[in-house]
Amino acid sequence: MNTMRTLRKIAAFFWRDFLIARGYRLALVAQTVEELFGVATFFYLSRFVDSPQLERALPAGRSYFTFALVGFAFFDYLSVSMTAFDSSLEEARQNRTLEALLVTQTPLPVIIAGSAVYPFVALALRTCVYLGLGAIFFGFAPRGANWFGALAILLASILAFAGLGILSASYQILFKRGNPAKWIVLGVSSLVSGMMYPVSVLPGPLQMLARMIPVTYSLEGMRAALLAGAGWGQLWPSLVALLAFAAVLIPLSFAVFGWALRRTKITGTLTHI
Amino acid sequence: MPVPAIVVENLEKFFPPALSGWRSLLHPFAPATQCALAGVSFVVDRGEAVALVGHNGAGKTTLMRILATLVLPTRGRAMLDGFDVANEPGHARERLGYHTGGDEGFYGRLSGRENLAFFAAMNNLTGADARARIASAAEWMGLADDLDRQMRTYSTGMRHSLGLARALLHGPSVLLLDEPTRSLDPLAAADFRRLLKDDIVRRRGTTLLFASHTLAEVEKIADRVVLLDHGKMIACDSPLGLRVSTGTPTLEAAIGHILRPGTTAGGSR
Repeated sequence: MNTMRTLRKIAAFFWRDFLIARGYRLALVAQTVEELFGVATFFYLSRFVDSPQLERALPAGRSYFTFALVGFAFFDYLSVSMTAFDSSLEEARQNRTLEALLVTQTPLPVIIAGSAVYPFVALALRTCVYLGLGAIFFGFAPRGANWFGALAILLASILAFAGLGILSASYQILFKRGNPAKWIVLGVSSLVSGMMYPVSVLPGPLQMLARMIPVTYSLEGMRAALLAGAGWGQLWPSLVALLAFAAVLIPLSFAVFGWALRRTKITGTLTHI
Repeated sequence: MPVPAIVVENLEKFFPPALSGWRSLLHPFAPATQCALAGVSFVVDRGEAVALVGHNGAGKTTLMRILATLVLPTRGRAMLDGFDVANEPGHARERLGYHTGGDEGFYGRLSGRENLAFFAAMNNLTGADARARIASAAEWMGLADDLDRQMRTYSTGMRHSLGLARALLHGPSVLLLDEPTRSLDPLAAADFRRLLKDDIVRRRGTTLLFASHTLAEVEKIADRVVLLDHGKMIACDSPLGLRVSTGTPTLEAAIGHILRPGTTAGGSR
């Protein structure tokens, strides 16, 4: 009963955000055009990239373009996870709907989770557009890809990233804005996770750092599944690492979030801008 | 004997001092030393309309926000329909409707109906039940013809009505209103007061606790007045009782007399 209610509420959040986004149709068109430019940039950049080291890191017959396209498309899941939860909170504060939401029969964790559903669904569509544009215009052909493996890696990644996102929202609840942790996680991850180049080109200490963040395993697993058609046996180290991150980060983030929420109810700053 | 709609017992609230700049970095969790409520106690019976009156900073909004489960009390307790708002906030919220006097708090790009449907879902109302309640609330608030317009095109008065419709959608037994008419023109405010007193309190039997600076409004709507000053409750009586006990001709004079003994006029606006 409660699960059904929660799902109905999450659906209501999705519908709300869809209706709002529908009001900005031009922005949707502009975003697709922007994605086309992004994919084209990778394609032409890849024509100039020719490194023996890179070739060794890529699956046989794959180009730098496919490597970067998958890296760029799936790194977005970390970016959205790190921003969706606290942005939903910030937006509700700014348009003064947070107070109205908080006196309903929906607890704040459901409000924040529900508000993050639309950005994730929109991102999934954007990923399809990215890969589709790459396939249509620039010869990206994921033949022999392990799609179920890629889906498993994606779901495990979202779980692990959501933990980081909820931690980021906890900071936002407490300190309102200027979330440095978010930008540190995103900055370090974009540097060392292998989004644009293989982790193997990094110096030793940065490679060690790369092993401590979930997005590295996410990109490795995703490239293995999509570009090399890796089987479950080859994907499991990435999957296990991502699930281990999720197992630690999700309970930790809920505990920190609960504490932050209680703290702001004591200080009376929950709805402050 | 029925459980009172609202019970407030020795309620105290202290906030940490507001710090900025490097002080806030050095003391992110400064101790709560600023007193907002100092041992306030009163009871509101079912179907009663009670006004919270006092200067700015007297503690009215803090009290409202504690009852609305938005702020935790430091000491004491507040019960709503028998549920402790600090320890059982979910149960308290089932019985609670809350509306502040502002005209914000909606999604401007959604229609009035879509806004109400979203908040209905947040209060566990879906499907035909939600649609019927939205239609009836809109009819009641005089919004039926405008319900499918985008909310951003609504006038202030219409937004107010939409806010009240939202607060009443799930049939709460207690309605909390913080300065409900502060941004309404005099005619809209008069209509709003009539709606509150005649329909919501008398006809529906909803318990009403509202904060107001408008004493004419208080006199029209309230069965009793809780007078707060610097976080303390200094009087709790009917408007007539306050006038009689102070020997003054108006509520304004009575409140002025209580807040500043020796004078017979002034006080809260």
